Amino acid sequence: MGRPNHTQPLRTGTSRRDFFKRSSASTAALVAATQLLPLAAEAVASAFQHGVASGDPLADRVILWTRVTPASVKSAVVVTYLIATDAALSQVVQRGSTKTHPGRDYTVKVDATGLRPGTTYYYQFNAEGSASPVGRTKTLPVGATPRLRLAVVSCSNHAYGFFNAYARIAQRADLDLVMHLGDYLYEYGAGQYGSARTPEPAHEMVTLADYRLRHAQYKRDADAQAMHRQHPLVAIWDDHEIANDSYQTGAQNHQPATEGDWAARVAAGLQAYYEWMPVRPVDTTRPRDNHRSLAYGDLAELLMLEERLSARSQQLPATVATPLGAGFTQTGAFLDASRTLLGGAQEAWLANRLRSTPARWKLLGQGVMFAQLKGVAAANAAGGGAFLNADQWDGYQPARDRIYDVLKGDASHAPVGNVVVLTGDIHSSWAADLSQDPNNPDVASGGYHPATGDGARAVEFVGTSVSSPGVDSDTSGAIAGFLRSLNPHFKYINLHRRGYLLVDVTPQRAVGEWWFVDTAASPSNIETFAVAFEVQHATNRLLPSAQTTPRANPPPLAP
Amino acid sequence: MNKPLQICPLRAVAALLLAAASLATQAASITLAGQIGYHNDVVQIDFTVAAPGTVTLWTDSWQGGLNVDPLLSLFNADFSLRSVNDDNDSVGAGQGYYDAGLSLALAGGTYHLVLTAASNEAVGPLLGNGFTYSADAPIRLADWVQPSSNINLGDQKGGAWQVHLTGVSQAGLVPEPGSSALLLAGLLALGALAARRRNG
Repeated sequence: MGRPNHTQPLRTGTSRRDFFKRSSASTAALVAATQLLPLAAEAVASAFQHGVASGDPLADRVILWTRVTPASVKSAVVVTYLIATDAALSQVVQRGSTKTHPGRDYTVKVDATGLRPGTTYYYQFNAEGSASPVGRTKTLPVGATPRLRLAVVSCSNHAYGFFNAYARIAQRADLDLVMHLGDYLYEYGAGQYGSARTPEPAHEMVTLADYRLRHAQYKRDADAQAMHRQHPLVAIWDDHEIANDSYQTGAQNHQPATEGDWAARVAAGLQAYYEWMPVRPVDTTRPRDNHRSLAYGDLAELLMLEERLSARSQQLPATVATPLGAGFTQTGAFLDASRTLLGGAQEAWLANRLRSTPARWKLLGQGVMFAQLKGVAAANAAGGGAFLNADQWDGYQPARDRIYDVLKGDASHAPVGNVVVLTGDIHSSWAADLSQDPNNPDVASGGYHPATGDGARAVEFVGTSVSSPGVDSDTSGAIAGFLRSLNPHFKYINLHRRGYLLVDVTPQRAVGEWWFVDTAASPSNIETFAVAFEVQHATNRLLPSAQTTPRANPPPLAP
Repeated sequence: MNKPLQICPLRAVAALLLAAASLATQAASITLAGQIGYHNDVVQIDFTVAAPGTVTLWTDSWQGGLNVDPLLSLFNADFSLRSVNDDNDSVGAGQGYYDAGLSLALAGGTYHLVLTAASNEAVGPLLGNGFTYSADAPIRLADWVQPSSNINLGDQKGGAWQVHLTGVSQAGLVPEPGSSALLLAGLLALGALAARRRNG
């Protein structure tokens, strides 16, 4: 997979250098206004080098995050914060104080409670005589809710390129939240996966100190800071937060002989993750399991899944030749029903939430592609063909079938509709009708009709990467077209563009819009709308759609 | 919510026993320890300085977040606030990041040292003015998210505290007024029970 081969575009508008100038000027202005250390603007600006962030909003609370960089080593640092309803911070609704210390890498995390539902708030931290940038966040609504609009991102590889997609999202004032579906950061050392920027530390991250340094580098990125400053994040991890192709007891990119105990590495990686990410731990005694749900009024329930560390069975090898490389068939160990992505407890929780939620839409935020992806096409009755990626749900078909059982319903359970699966992981863009037998055109026997969508049980929107490479040579779409010819349930495939997914949900329909940046190889502010698909209420199949209209008069962005 | 009667009298009795024990000692270095159960509990230690000199007062009970983040407030003999420290781990060995510590020159006399959970701070110039959380309904430490706690760990739920005093001639715990009242109530209840048994 080659580097993106776009020519560097002419910059229009604000440059990165201007951004730095502007942000330091505004910090100095803030300091002057609050009469804190009026002489030392540089020193003042240095206490918050990693920005601010918010996340996991609920109707009455949201996580507020920052990190303090003290001028000298300190045992305890007092950090105060305020929350206001206006960007100028004049209408303060809450003030609080917390602390941090070196044992938590000076990270700060507050679960600010007592907030009003569906409300935009602005917040700021103070420590060491300086004020942080102002952040903006929003709580979840309750009751009748007309609309949800979110950006979906994944696979933000600092070494491989620039986070132009984050910067575009930061400019959208009308988003309710940003969902990050994992691979927020990458574990590799310098030159091992991308050379646009040099990772810190320069070697693969293995120890707690390594993971902290890498998180700190990602949080110093200006585009990441901009995105975090403007929107609450709802994040799950995929594999690279610890190591490539991870599962419960190991990972492809973990060598116990040289990198030590896997459990110790996971513990270190997750400690740094919880320290540095604006996420609310679900159960502090079981850090590996962060699956959770967020109720977006009566409109949608966001079901965020954990598919790597709490229960996943080890991937099986792909040993069958296909025109697109090694694949596998649904035979042998692939039929083992005890193999799992979610584990029994999370599977039961998901089934219960899907069946019992009062929300109209069920949005599954999850890591790996749910739709079937074959390199050799065949209906199930003819053996099912050959699949391409054993790390996806394809490699865990009995476990996936159990999810389909919930969607289809049974004698004691009604079918579950209006499910939209949101996915990242594979650095490319896909829109899919979800069927257990997509190469069988006979709907009556459990198949799927590609022209009408009959037989589909749900839909999937797979968003492309922020910067990690896809099949960047497929600029003609030839490979994408070949894949579509084998896999008729995909309505759209693009393998070579970077960007993000914008999801707009109303009671009547859920729209997925694919937005692409022109390049991730250099800073750029050009983005283009690529395509949109939607699913209408109670249909469970995709239709072509159009770009949705942003909300009028959204609350202003944070300064 | 009121504190359960069956716990607090015992706590007060234990405190009185501790106080009696420590008052009997004449050591220059004294360690007192105990347990708080609620976010607004106030532990008062009265100590005496025999001759002018340096006095150190410090906790080592935070234990990396195992126990509550302590705050020390020192009051003069006339109950006026003299000094406050939330975090100072440079006073004694074994202190952690959020332990409190004071090191100061004191004249001979009596002083009142108060340990509370941070940030339950003295609200006025006198001990009698109370503390930030004094008017709150007591929250069990297990149910309380201390503002300085690490929500990634859900820590600082333990109520154990320990204070070291050096340069003092004697020191002892003073039962909380609330505890004394509760102790009285408990004794009355026991008395009533005994009376009922006698009558029954």
